[in-house]
Amino acid sequence: MFSYIVRRLLYTPLIVIGVLIVTFLLFRVVQGDVSAEYAGRSASPETVAEIRKELGFDKPLFINTEAVSEHGVLAVFDSQFFHHFKSAVTFDFGRARVSKQKVSSMLADGAIPSLTLTVPMFLGTLVTAVSISLFIALVRGSVLDTSVVVACVCGMSLPFLALIMFGQYFFAHKLQWFPIFGYEPGLAGAKYFVLPVLMGVFAGLGGDVRFYRTVMLDEINADYIRTARAKGQNTPRILYKHLLKNAMIPIISKVVLAIPFLFLGSLLTERFFGIPGLGYLMVEAIGQRDFQIINAMTFVISVLFVLGNLATDVCYALVDPRVTLN
Amino acid sequence: MRRGLLFAWPIALLLAVCGLMPGCGESSEGGGQSNGTGVDGEVTTTYGAISSKVRGMDPMDIGDTTSSGIASNIYDCLYQYHYLKRPYELIPNLAAEMPTVSEDGLTYTIKLRDDVVFQDDECFTETDGKGRKLVAQDFIYSWKRIADIKNVSKNWWILDGKIKGLDEFREYTKTAASKADVDYNRPVEGLEAVDDTTLRITLVKPWPQVTQYLAHLPTAAVPHEAVSHYGDEFLNHPVGTGPYTLKSWRHGSKIILERNPTYREEFYPSEGQAGDEEAGLLADAGKPMPLIDRIDISIIEESQPLWLKLMAGDLDIGGIPKDNFDTAISPTRELTPDLVKKGVVLEMYEDAATYWYGFNMEDPLLSNNKPLRQAMNLGIDRKDFLEKFLNNRGIPARGVLPPMIAGYDKGINSPYTQYDVELAKKKVKEAEALHGGPLPTIVLTMGGTDSTARQTGQWFIRSYENIGLTVEVEYMDWPSAQEKVKTKSAQMYAMGWVADIPDAENFMQLFYGPNESPGANSMNYKNPQVDAIYEKIAVMEHSPERIELIRQMQQMVVDDLPCVLTVHRVAFILHYDWLKNYKPHVFQYGLAKYRNLDAELRQQRVGR
Repeated sequence: MFSYIVRRLLYTPLIVIGVLIVTFLLFRVVQGDVSAEYAGRSASPETVAEIRKELGFDKPLFINTEAVSEHGVLAVFDSQFFHHFKSAVTFDFGRARVSKQKVSSMLADGAIPSLTLTVPMFLGTLVTAVSISLFIALVRGSVLDTSVVVACVCGMSLPFLALIMFGQYFFAHKLQWFPIFGYEPGLAGAKYFVLPVLMGVFAGLGGDVRFYRTVMLDEINADYIRTARAKGQNTPRILYKHLLKNAMIPIISKVVLAIPFLFLGSLLTERFFGIPGLGYLMVEAIGQRDFQIINAMTFVISVLFVLGNLATDVCYALVDPRVTLN
Repeated sequence: MRRGLLFAWPIALLLAVCGLMPGCGESSEGGGQSNGTGVDGEVTTTYGAISSKVRGMDPMDIGDTTSSGIASNIYDCLYQYHYLKRPYELIPNLAAEMPTVSEDGLTYTIKLRDDVVFQDDECFTETDGKGRKLVAQDFIYSWKRIADIKNVSKNWWILDGKIKGLDEFREYTKTAASKADVDYNRPVEGLEAVDDTTLRITLVKPWPQVTQYLAHLPTAAVPHEAVSHYGDEFLNHPVGTGPYTLKSWRHGSKIILERNPTYREEFYPSEGQAGDEEAGLLADAGKPMPLIDRIDISIIEESQPLWLKLMAGDLDIGGIPKDNFDTAISPTRELTPDLVKKGVVLEMYEDAATYWYGFNMEDPLLSNNKPLRQAMNLGIDRKDFLEKFLNNRGIPARGVLPPMIAGYDKGINSPYTQYDVELAKKKVKEAEALHGGPLPTIVLTMGGTDSTARQTGQWFIRSYENIGLTVEVEYMDWPSAQEKVKTKSAQMYAMGWVADIPDAENFMQLFYGPNESPGANSMNYKNPQVDAIYEKIAVMEHSPERIELIRQMQQMVVDDLPCVLTVHRVAFILHYDWLKNYKPHVFQYGLAKYRNLDAELRQQRVGR
């Protein structure tokens, strides 16, 4: 196991380099020089040149042979390609197009509120959905099972926006159980997250319960469950010791691969509850054609995705002895 | 502040309402000497909201009401408008007195107050962060920044061709290799610091509005230390001489301003106009300003949370989203009894603003096809638009000038700003013939991503579908939309203009060719005849002859139709009765210093 993890960790930088090459090709080669677009049609050639210099488009794409004679052999690396690598390694992605803030600071500032929102939302949904699914699997075919399935379909059909608006109006405004809108860093701000998290959990339950119920039903008819019952094992033991463990593979697949996207936040929830996360950053960056931000976000998500994949493989081996890492 | 280019209607209202006057307050933690009425002497905090993001707070490049509404509490200009007197009267601000003008009207000598210092900031490295004294040279530096072509300032139109030697300085900046190479010590003939407290401006030609523009935020003084220290991020780190300093700014979420502890002595006005005393507007006469210690401004882009927070008393002042209008206002245009019981007060006033959907006249399709522009004007039902999106808070715009500006022409001959679907369809056919085939899709840029902006976009799409045109709407946040317009990258865009000064020239210059983007002529409209008339208007004092020229120019613009004129709005503002000293003011910038609040009453009413 240890050697597998080490081996996979050693592969990871190679995959990240691959990601960097792809993002370089996308944002520098395919897309080309955006200086003139950034400067706009009203800009003078001097302004365009200045922006080109600021964005590094004045350098050669891969190897800077011209600079060698003047600045020495190391100047060969003074190219767009190596600066792209350097920016990723040093987490210095330049400045946002409109606000001129450092992109790395924007990501760092937005990540905490986003994760504070999405992690409890994700865990809450997961635990609740798996628990309900386990129970429902036991009473499959009953009125309760059918009712839950119907409720799930209704939940899935309900637009998240409508749910947010109702929740905000009813629970925050009418009943005054929660703050309507706002954010504060630190523990003092926890109160602002309760309602949006509950809304998110509720919204996610419909789809997740249906998915996990199917997973549980696949397992509950398996021979080993019948054997466990025949041996007289009690229901909680069957559920938690046998069924849940065997159902973990699809659960892990769904869960671990979802984790990198928690970083992206929750667009609607953040907007309606005033949480300054990353939910809108990517959307706005695309609207603004702010390639500095898009590049940074693409890179970060890709790396998280690679790490997520590694974690998935390791978790498979941990929960299912049939999976070997050799 | 500089014209507020606002796009979406209800949003515009909320901005104009909340952002510009973040008024209201309450007590919270903190220290410092309060001039306001806090509970048990605690620090007073006001709570306001704006409904779109702040683009930046560098006066040199500020060009929208949202950013100006905040920054104008941090920066100061030489002059300001009297808070209470009407008609609007200019009074000294950083200047010690009104300017002395030479007989030929070309030289203005301005004495500065000698007790003004910049806010303490880490940029003042030589004095360990202690703000230094403001000197005349700071204004010269700040105006040179506007002229510096490397800065791509939106505000060059204000100074373009006005001050001796400044255009030459601009030409010089074109030759500098980079921003850093521009020499700001290079003299400009018409800008002279006679001594630290005396500024002399020599004009190229008469400029009757000069004093009014010196009350306009882009002309505020910025310290060169801050510009050097913060570089590209200066727009996020304002350092001014105003009553408030920027305590924190979480982009897209919250801005907190705090009393500037080194603010000069300035007192609440002790005279106003008839009725002010009875309205309690002179209760704080003679008190040092600002009256409130802290301003807490939330950025709430969606109308539901904004309204719910206002109704909960979490905000002290706000606008009325279109979907909540009937809850707040009766058919007779009065406040509903429920809100009256809560202590809400309604303020209504005509805003000096015109809104439109601009055509980029450098776009070949739009500029070369007048029938298309006519069709797009004819295809819009302004009354329906007002009803659907503004609850009839405004009147359809037939011309450029809003009603409160001298020169407004109610009977303007503007046949294409009427709603006429059949004629619009005919014009579309003409446009197609001129184009040589079916017209391509036109892209409309909306500076808003909230539901109202999207509904407005859909309404436009449907209106143009009715006359056989295909329009696609792209939604983006307000700063991005401005950037797109500034760089001439938008084909058609939602925009508006809120008066900077009480003079028609401020609206007419929007159509002056040399003011093209990044200047105020965001339509990039060019008509030599219009330009010639504008050049006369710009140097004339108010007179019947000038009004006639304004009428002629306005007529030419509505004949050419470089935009779809839509509405002149009426502002409906709600505030709680614990907010004191609220008086509608068309030039609603830097007014937070006048606000006060009765924190005890607020505590009684909403428990905070």
